[in-house]
Amino acid sequence: MIESIEIGKCTGCGICDVVCPADVIHMEPVAVGHGVAGLTQTKLLPVIKFREHCITCFSCEIYCPEHIVDVHPSVKNRPRPW
Amino acid sequence: MAGTDLDGVLIDTDILVIGAGAGGLVAALSAKRHAPPGTRVTLCDSWMIGRTGHSAFSNAWTIVVLPDDDLDGILHEVVAGNDGIADQILVREALKESYARLKDFEAIGMTFARDEASQYKRRPTRGLDLARVMHPDGGGMAFTWTLRRALEAEGVQLLDRLFITGLTGGGSGRVTGATGINTRTGQFHAIKARATIVSTNAITFRSGFVRDITGTGTLLAYKAGAALRNAEFSYVRPGTPKFYFEGITFAIQEGAQWVNAKGEAFMQRHEPEWADEADVPRIARAMALENKKGDAPLYLDMSAIPEHMRDDFIRSKVPWMDSFFRKLGNEAKTDMFGKTPYYALNQMTKMGIRTGSDCRSDVPGLLSAGLAQAGCANHFAGFHIGLCIGNGWIAGRSAVEDLDRLPPPALDAAEVRALHAETHAPLKPAAEAESDRILRDLQAVMFSYDTGILKREDRLRQAFERVVELDDEFKDLSAPHTHELVRLKETEAMLLAARFILGASLYRTESRLSHFREDHDQRDDRDWLVWVDFCETGNGPAFTKTPVPTPLCPPTLSKPRKRQLHARHQVAGV
Repeated sequence: MIESIEIGKCTGCGICDVVCPADVIHMEPVAVGHGVAGLTQTKLLPVIKFREHCITCFSCEIYCPEHIVDVHPSVKNRPRPW
Repeated sequence: MAGTDLDGVLIDTDILVIGAGAGGLVAALSAKRHAPPGTRVTLCDSWMIGRTGHSAFSNAWTIVVLPDDDLDGILHEVVAGNDGIADQILVREALKESYARLKDFEAIGMTFARDEASQYKRRPTRGLDLARVMHPDGGGMAFTWTLRRALEAEGVQLLDRLFITGLTGGGSGRVTGATGINTRTGQFHAIKARATIVSTNAITFRSGFVRDITGTGTLLAYKAGAALRNAEFSYVRPGTPKFYFEGITFAIQEGAQWVNAKGEAFMQRHEPEWADEADVPRIARAMALENKKGDAPLYLDMSAIPEHMRDDFIRSKVPWMDSFFRKLGNEAKTDMFGKTPYYALNQMTKMGIRTGSDCRSDVPGLLSAGLAQAGCANHFAGFHIGLCIGNGWIAGRSAVEDLDRLPPPALDAAEVRALHAETHAPLKPAAEAESDRILRDLQAVMFSYDTGILKREDRLRQAFERVVELDDEFKDLSAPHTHELVRLKETEAMLLAARFILGASLYRTESRLSHFREDHDQRDDRDWLVWVDFCETGNGPAFTKTPVPTPLCPPTLSKPRKRQLHARHQVAGV
């Protein structure tokens, strides 16, 4: 399951969102600065929106060009037949 | 949207392919290559084409029949390994054409390993003597991504993040396209198509190889009037909740054995012919019987594997599997070679759309490919993707032929409006997302070993009653956002699938393949060498028998099979 994204190092490329096959990561606007009084600059950054639906496929971690996504190899919720 | 007052996107195409696993990708390629220039081919998937589907997350092992191989011998063992429940014409064509597809794949940039003598490196697979499997370098991700790039280059329209919610034209006796929503924005789409190929995988209960990926197209086809079959069969394979381990065949090849809590190697007792080399449905049944006897937990004893080989088991050429093992670190090796309980995990139903050997369904304009097509009741390691490649190619070709046979379709604005309303009805911003609760309860019913593996009439009926209760609970659910709306639609399909699985399991009163009835525990070829087909009657599904034709080979082998895995050193290229 996805653990974290080091947002401070994120360039906002959006690859993690695009490659996720479970709709877990969404790019969302975040306020990043106020260079001009009264105006707000925003940037799209990844948000772990539906962590509980992560399928631990590692796609976000593998394809992140900055290597800032951490996925933990946990499959504890797998159903059992007995 | 033209012709309606809806806010959305209208797409007009010639051939629509729904689902971009191996079957859909190859179907789109086939359609483009068989069609006259200018023919419009559209491929859609709920997520990013080339990075999703079970195929993308697999090794992409596939049976390839080389020119010097024994084609009809392999066909016969595949049919026998299906206990006769296979479309022989379709399977033979998939096997026969597999070498041509290999060459197609190489031409678009895939590479396949060769040995020092430039021969393809191939391996035997469980349950088959003659067939050999191979995979592209880079595994499933390389396979699906290379196909995506090829489709882009050949002008196929790719629609990522489009979840199909309905097939249109069912009332007119043919399929005229589909409706769907963008899985991020929720934007409504209507697609008019002259031929529609459903290749949306088998349905899972979010337990598959890649857990959340499930197919819903099979059930959309059912609602559009198509018949389904093989619901009583499932792909149940050994696994452990602790880690993904796709190397069981390799481990058994090197001497691993299934053992119970007493340390007894139990497969010889259950499957004298194949023992540990038996195919997965047979291992799953043996595991369930051992559990019932009170001899669980069950383990894969890998102690016979020499120390110098053990690191090979915690590495993979498939990037995501390798990440998995790398992050587990020492724990991976300790768990794998220690005592980690294994279970028989239900990965997917084998229920698919009834088609002819040409992949055409009973409904004009509707075809099927991939695991959504019911060509086989058992696929083996290497024939999941092998058959998907084969039926994808056939479906694409048949769809092109249909362009001249069927009149141009018309979208019925009232029907599109009704599908729009039905799709969006559960959306309520203040609602709670609750489909997972229903799913967990459904999993508990369907995965229980004494319902999902060891079946008996009374328990199947109890399970059916519970599914009906869950269905009633489900009807009250709403979705606060598009993400949950998609999951609701998938859960709705799973509930319907559960009814069909239990209904078909009650109907087939014999035991065969993964369908094991404790109260009818013998295989009965006289009465049950049949497909159990069902279609909607207006009052639920009606189950009927369709004899399985055997035009090319008998449903069983005439002499005992050889075990191949332990003879690996005699196999060229391994």
